Amino acid sequence: MAMSTEHSKIIVENLKYKYLATDFLALDGISFSVEQGEFIGIIGKNESGKSTLCQAIAGLVPNFHKGAYGGRILIDGLEVKNVELSELCKKVGIVFQNPFNQVTGSKLTVYEEIAFGLENTGIEKQEMIRRIDDAMELLDIAKYKDRNPFDLSGGQMQRMAIASIIAMQPEVIVLDEPTSQLDPQGREEVYQAVQKLSKKGITIFMVEHNMEKIASYSDRVLLLDGGRLIDFDTPQRIFSREDLDTYGVEVPAFTRICKELNLKNPGTGCYPVTLEEAYDLLSKEKREM
Amino acid sequence: MEQKNILEIKDLHFSYNKGDEILKGLNFSLDDRTTAIIGQNGAGKTTFVKLLKGLLRPTCGSILFEGKDISTMTVAQLARHIGMVFQNPNDQIFKNRVLDEVMYGPLKIGMSETVAKEKSMAALELVGLSGFEDKNPYDLGLSSRKLVAIASIIAMDTKVIIFDEPTIAQDFYGKERIKSVIRKLRSEGVTVITIIHDMDFVADVFERVIVFAKGGVLLDGSAKDVFADEAILKEAYLEQPNVTKLCQNLGYEEVFLNTDEFVTYWRKKTG
Amino acid sequence: MKSISLYEEKGSLLNKLAPESKILYIIIALLLPVIMGSRWVSIGFIAVSFFLLLISKVLRKTVPILSISGFVLLTVVIIQGIFRAGNVTPVFAVGPVSFYKEGLMFAFEIVVNVLNILLSFCVLILTAKPSDIVENFVRKGFSPRFGYVFISVFQIVPQMTETMSTITDAQRSRGMETEGNLLVRIKAFGPLISPVVMSSLINTRERALALEVRGFNARNKKTFLNDEKKCGADKYIQLGMLAMLIAGIVWRVAGWR
Repeated sequence: MAMSTEHSKIIVENLKYKYLATDFLALDGISFSVEQGEFIGIIGKNESGKSTLCQAIAGLVPNFHKGAYGGRILIDGLEVKNVELSELCKKVGIVFQNPFNQVTGSKLTVYEEIAFGLENTGIEKQEMIRRIDDAMELLDIAKYKDRNPFDLSGGQMQRMAIASIIAMQPEVIVLDEPTSQLDPQGREEVYQAVQKLSKKGITIFMVEHNMEKIASYSDRVLLLDGGRLIDFDTPQRIFSREDLDTYGVEVPAFTRICKELNLKNPGTGCYPVTLEEAYDLLSKEKREM
Repeated sequence: MEQKNILEIKDLHFSYNKGDEILKGLNFSLDDRTTAIIGQNGAGKTTFVKLLKGLLRPTCGSILFEGKDISTMTVAQLARHIGMVFQNPNDQIFKNRVLDEVMYGPLKIGMSETVAKEKSMAALELVGLSGFEDKNPYDLGLSSRKLVAIASIIAMDTKVIIFDEPTIAQDFYGKERIKSVIRKLRSEGVTVITIIHDMDFVADVFERVIVFAKGGVLLDGSAKDVFADEAILKEAYLEQPNVTKLCQNLGYEEVFLNTDEFVTYWRKKTG
Repeated sequence: MKSISLYEEKGSLLNKLAPESKILYIIIALLLPVIMGSRWVSIGFIAVSFFLLLISKVLRKTVPILSISGFVLLTVVIIQGIFRAGNVTPVFAVGPVSFYKEGLMFAFEIVVNVLNILLSFCVLILTAKPSDIVENFVRKGFSPRFGYVFISVFQIVPQMTETMSTITDAQRSRGMETEGNLLVRIKAFGPLISPVVMSSLINTRERALALEVRGFNARNKKTFLNDEKKCGADKYIQLGMLAMLIAGIVWRVAGWR
């Protein structure tokens, strides 16, 4: 895909960052650009820089975590580092791994909890109500609106956390392993909801260890290792790489099977990465047998 | 094959409040097969393992460990026989040195300093943390800290080890490490029980799977039999492992749990 | 949900009033007796508080509060009644022990003051939602950060107790004894307290991030989802109470006493 970086939604240029207490670069010269509405998967082993990159996009690095920072991130031409967090949060939202620690603890109902960010940023009451209702609808949590936020299950709580961010109507949402503490059902609910957002034109960054999910939902995948950007491409091309185990990345089960059997998708020249793709290819093979 | 029952669960009921039963009469036994307990959040899995550890006491029914009712033992006494790795390592780590942290449990259950150290070093090696003995656990990342917690339970040398969500926040390497730890424990005759949401991981490592739903057992059998039953898994809000999904889509009678099984079968068929 | 807030919505008149009116009530209930220098004023306010709690249908909730403090007050009465320096006039005797008028009067004074304080605070705490109290203050220009700290205590503390019990479980699972004599309990302190401190530090940091990205430090004017808690009567009630306060001061200064 040829893309003109000039009009890209997000441009990251030679981004470098070192946390105060450490003596190595957590991010080491990262550059890439992303179009509006893309669903970007971020993969890599633990401590490869995934979370730091997420926090850099949301401006928490370097405006909350101080440290040495080089290069820049532009969102709609706006340089992230120079924007106050309280302003940037209207453009970029971030959801963390632990749903529990994202509950403010100052609100008694789910409805009020979602309002928290809107009250802080001075949204008028009528608009606030409209946005909260929309966000709850989208995440399918309207039925819990009068519940105490702490009384929700993990999956419900995480969807509430996402709704709280959605209600602020950001153009970009970063999700840092949002489903790792959820059961399969809760995880699927979150993915479905995030996909809906992506279809509405919101740009998504998603960190995830479950490669099958990354493969089936991402438009493109960012592969990080030791704070460097190793590759940025379609899931098919990323997972067709032969050197993934050196980066501590598991290949989706479907890709592993097809690699073993040496079955490539004739159209793309890559191995299949999703259930559907693998099924198409294998069932064709099966008929020919 | 004759299985020796380590734990017998007899008509086990539990409720915090009257009329709101969390476990509604469980009846099964656990042997030395690796056993995964799966189910939706709130199905009663955590309550069940807390009962096994004596942290909660049944409202009715009993649990026998090697034939002896565990209600006759205190939590501290039971700690010699049944170990449990909690989900969040931050809930237990309090020493400044990894080795001291791992040795705490063994010393508490009455091992001598020498034995405790020996067991702890072996456990650290098993989880791949040899050489980290003198580090501060909080200087390690969350995934390594979890391995410290795992080692601290293994070092206690118990007959049974329970894991609560061992794979959370683990990357590929971490998961592979935990797989090998579980296999090693199994080969040493330790009964491994886990609560877990990661179906591919279960399919890869566990011999027996028990599906909990609404405080009861919905399904109990070999991993193959349980994962074959798509309808029941759906009912329990669970899903099949990815490879199993694929082979069912392809219309195979047989159930495959991991990629190797599938590839072998495919090669045999195609010659 | 375990909450440490004692508030309960009963749809009563006091539930509808602005929290400020109730705070003003506490102020005059405590100040007027001092200004006017008469315990009869305190007794009057105790009666008023009782009446207010009764019509708000929350009188029963004061029972646990009163019984705990009642126990303390009883010991005050006994000790002062028997041993207070300057006791000269015996009133009655229980067996060999005599109670004296001076001590009992002094104790009575304390009891009246404590009851007045407790009950007037009950009027606020039992009928006003903590978040309404804070929001009304923030509306009047108080720091939202300060408000957050105050209000989050009601939810975060019960959550911390839960973390504490998980930690206790984790350490008992490793053979730690928590029951037994004082020495056993002291020994258990380290393994329990440091994970609690570490977990709360980690949780607090994560929560700080989550608050930050929801505009917690935004400098624009805040808006509110809930309407300001007040009703038509508030203005008159507040004016009335201020008038009482001024009247009290004037009465005292003019030296009519």
